[in-house]
Amino acid sequence: MHIPDGYLSMEVWTATTVAGAAAAGYALRRTRTALAQPQVPAAALAGAFIFAAQMLNFPIAGGTSGHFLGSALAAILFGPWAAAVIMSAVLIIQAVLFHDGGITALGANILCTAIIGSFAGYGVYQAGLRLLKGRLQAAASFAAAWVSIVAASCGVALLLALSGAAPLSAALPAMLGWHALIGIGEGLITMAAAAYLTERRTSLAREGAFA
Amino acid sequence: MNERRPEYKVTGSRRKWAVLAVLTLAAAGLASPWASGRPDGLERVAEDLGFLGREAAVHSFSPMPGYEVAGIPWEAVRTGLAGLIGAVVMAVLLWTALRALARRR
Repeated sequence: MHIPDGYLSMEVWTATTVAGAAAAGYALRRTRTALAQPQVPAAALAGAFIFAAQMLNFPIAGGTSGHFLGSALAAILFGPWAAAVIMSAVLIIQAVLFHDGGITALGANILCTAIIGSFAGYGVYQAGLRLLKGRLQAAASFAAAWVSIVAASCGVALLLALSGAAPLSAALPAMLGWHALIGIGEGLITMAAAAYLTERRTSLAREGAFA
Repeated sequence: MNERRPEYKVTGSRRKWAVLAVLTLAAAGLASPWASGRPDGLERVAEDLGFLGREAAVHSFSPMPGYEVAGIPWEAVRTGLAGLIGAVVMAVLLWTALRALARRR
C-alpha cells in the first residue's frame, strides 16, 4: 500500500508532506522518552524484519496480492511513538533506495501507515487486552493488526479522493474491501510474531497496586 | 481494578531475537524472489478505478529500483541481494538513530 508519485494532487501532497514531516518529527521527540536504551537493538531488528516481511507479497483472491505492513506489530512491541519512527524509517528506505512509494507521497505514506497504522493498532491492542482482561493476547494482536491495515487503507482512500483520482464512494469501498482480506494475513503474521516476541507476566494492575 | 492482570513484555531472550534475525535474512535474501508479482491492494484499486495512469516518476536516483540490484544475470540474485542490502541498511540506520534518541538509565 505504497502511494507512488503522481497519484496525489499537488495540494494534497504538499499538505501531507508538511503534516507527515511534522508528525514524524514529533514522533522522534516522543521516542526520546518512550524508548529506553536496552530496547534499541530489538527495535532496530524489528524494523529490519518488517522491511523484509514487506517484500513478501502473498496472493489473495481475484488476481491480487497483499503484503505485511507491520505498524501494529511495531506498536505492540514498542508503543505507538517508537512504532511511528520505525515505520517512517522503513518508508524512507523503500522510497529512496528501492523506488517503492513516491518521494512526493512520502508524507502521505507516513501519515497513513506510520501514524494511523501504529496508533490504530496500538489502541485496538490495548483495548483488546483490557476487554479480555489480559487473556487471549493472540485475539488482541490479530484485531489490532486487522484494524491497523484497514484504517491505513481508509486514509489512503481519503487522500486519493481529495486528489481527484477517484470519488470517495468508489475508492473507500475498494480499498477497504481488498485490505479487509489482506488484513487477515496481517493479523496472522502479527499474532504469531507478537506471541513469540513477548512474555506474559502476571503482576498487579498498576492502578490496583497501591490501592 | 484490584485484580491480577497479565502483562506482556517484550522478550529479552537473545535466542528469540537471533531467530528473528535469521528469519529476517531468510525472508529478505531467499524468499523475496518468490513473492507474488500480482498487483497489491492499492495497485489493483488503481487499475479498477482507472487512475493507474496517474503514476509519474519524479526522480530516478534510487540505486535499486523495484528491489533489484542491476548488473546481475539472475533475477533471484538481483532481488535477494537487494533484500539483504535493504534489511542490513534498515537495522543499521534504526540502531544508529534510536541509540542517539532513546533515554538513558
